[in-house]
Amino acid sequence: MKRALLLGAMLTMLIAACGSQAELEIADPWARTSATMQDAGAVYMTITGGDEADELTSATVASSVAAMAELHESAMTEGEGGTEMMMMQAVSSIPVPVDGDVALEPGGYHIMLMQLAEPLTEGSEFTVTLTFAKAGDIDVAVAVRDG
Amino acid sequence: MSRFETSLSMWRRLAGIAAVAALLAVGCGDDSPAGLTGIVREPAPDVGGVVLPDEANGGSDFATRAEPGRLLLVYFGYTSCPDICPTTLADLRTAVRGLGDDGDRVDVAIITVDPDRDVPERVADYIHAFFDDGHALRTEDQNQLAAAADKYGAAFEVTTTADGTIEVAHSAFLYVVDSGGRILVQWPFGTLSEDMQKDLEYLFAEGV
Repeated sequence: MKRALLLGAMLTMLIAACGSQAELEIADPWARTSATMQDAGAVYMTITGGDEADELTSATVASSVAAMAELHESAMTEGEGGTEMMMMQAVSSIPVPVDGDVALEPGGYHIMLMQLAEPLTEGSEFTVTLTFAKAGDIDVAVAVRDG
Repeated sequence: MSRFETSLSMWRRLAGIAAVAALLAVGCGDDSPAGLTGIVREPAPDVGGVVLPDEANGGSDFATRAEPGRLLLVYFGYTSCPDICPTTLADLRTAVRGLGDDGDRVDVAIITVDPDRDVPERVADYIHAFFDDGHALRTEDQNQLAAAADKYGAAFEVTTTADGTIEVAHSAFLYVVDSGGRILVQWPFGTLSEDMQKDLEYLFAEGV
């Protein structure tokens, strides 16, 4: 009887351990302030992967923030004569490694906000819904600051 | 590869060697000035002859050379740029603020590479979001814009994709110009604001 109880307790612990597996985490979501007539903005953050590989497949914001949000990446390209140029391109997803970080940061991956409804002002905040292939939808509060 | 590219990469390499030499000197306990962290081109390109309408000043002509005792920072960019341009200009703002009183001796000008979308008020509004007295240089004359970029060794391409998306690629240097219209140093994208500040302090200490 005692043994059965112990076994039961152990099973419960195992199940609990399965339930508390490391989940994806988002740190420091922020966006830079925008000029009055600026129509585009960018959102940055660090995403830490959980126990399984995942990918960020899209991001959405309310129309009161911007008409559209897209996943973008800034990268170096070569122009005529080999001059290095920076350019931005849309990406279909951003991979999130197992137990590792992916940084959305200036000069790399970012969420581009298109047709801002109004300027992003210092100290304000808005919500971005991140959609992951496995983790599903996660809402994050994005802080607006100068840099 | 053009002659300019060859010399640019050569000077980058030399700049790298100079940086290593500076590090070595520091390592030896020599407290001579560390010099500049950015890219120095020799001979210094002369951009004082570049004159463009300044939309922050009613479209009057603006020559890209600093006033005596000051430095002019020039950037080729566009206002629909959400990542690279604002990051660079915000880092520059941090550097200029870090200069204290000498920050008042720095002027900033943006030259838009996307004049179609960047109407005059928009360019002025954009640079003023970062620098109250910033200059907004804009021309619809593509030849004039290309000639200006050529003087700086800057490159840009504006293309419209099949679905109508406008894509802009541009070289992302900040150029530091003196009152003689010469580029003293230029910083690639990703230069830390601390390094920008250090270079500006160095240039002011050397006497501009």
